[in-house]
Amino acid sequence: MKISCIIVEDLQVAANYLMKCCEKSGQVESKGHFVNVPDALHFLNENTVDLIFLDVEMPGASGFELLDQIAFSPKVILTTSKKDYAYNAFQYNVSDYLMKPFTYQRFLESLQKIKPSQETISTRSGSDHIYIKADGKLVRLNNDSILYIESMGDYVKFVTSDNKKYITHNTIKNLEEKVSKQHFLKVHRSFIVNLHKIDDMRENILFIKGNEIPVSKANKADVFKRLNIV
Amino acid sequence: MNTGITNKSFIFNEKINVQCINDLYGNDYIYLEEVFGTVLNEYGTLIENIFEQYDSHNIPALKAAVHKIKPIFGFVGLISMQHQCQQFEDNCQPSSPFDMLVNNYNALKNNLISSKSIIEEEKGKLELFNSQ
Repeated sequence: MKISCIIVEDLQVAANYLMKCCEKSGQVESKGHFVNVPDALHFLNENTVDLIFLDVEMPGASGFELLDQIAFSPKVILTTSKKDYAYNAFQYNVSDYLMKPFTYQRFLESLQKIKPSQETISTRSGSDHIYIKADGKLVRLNNDSILYIESMGDYVKFVTSDNKKYITHNTIKNLEEKVSKQHFLKVHRSFIVNLHKIDDMRENILFIKGNEIPVSKANKADVFKRLNIV
Repeated sequence: MNTGITNKSFIFNEKINVQCINDLYGNDYIYLEEVFGTVLNEYGTLIENIFEQYDSHNIPALKAAVHKIKPIFGFVGLISMQHQCQQFEDNCQPSSPFDMLVNNYNALKNNLISSKSIIEEEKGKLELFNSQ
């Protein structure tokens, strides 16, 4: 899964170079380039990203002012030509500090620093539980407690039998390979369900504790195979 | 960014640090031409800002303007210019008298103007090189 990012940088040559590094890495997808804080903020009020490449000194407002105003906590890599921001970087929990111009190798090293926390789900084959990263902590979910998992763009929602919802950065495609095959089945491009929790099925709809889950034509045969029909 | 031409060699202006260029772009001369072009596009605005801030005797704004242009020189291998900008920035203390900056500023201004010529020349040479 690619890391989504924006680039906030008013120097065109530096922004272009960063975009080239992102493309070359194959690991990062740029969702936009902004030359000032207000434009970036406007975008981030309606979109989320995993990572911001952030210049500090820009006309009008500094990069740190952007971090003060956004409602979520993406990873941040500062791209600057000054070494004086160590204290701010520490305060804002910045992941890394790229001095312009930096080499592609240095860029890759920077990506490595943010990767461990990109892994939002931890499983072991045959395990009866998974761990997900939600609300800034690792949450253990027993397989038996999960009703279904629903796609929300770059995020997924875990719905549990006690009616709790956990949103974490991941995709259905990635999860399909990680969750227990014994318990879970992808029934739609946006849904994975716990087979043990299905109450009934009508036409192309599965019912799980009052929730209606669509079954796609492509997945319907798999669903029938896995249900214990007598 | 090693996706460009590999069998030809390009002779850079002696003021350009070839090692720096190789570290950043490998032998991707097509992209390098693009970089020089992008730098030239924004160069005029950036140096005009420096001249304006100097003329208005606004030391913090002058410092910020020099800071802004500084990394550009790194992208085109003009490392000595990058260092000169850094030194000038360091000298731009709000408490220091403006007159103290005059000599350094004049030297910087001359080099800013001559650097533009170097970048233009290299851009032209790269265009020719890449078209062969």
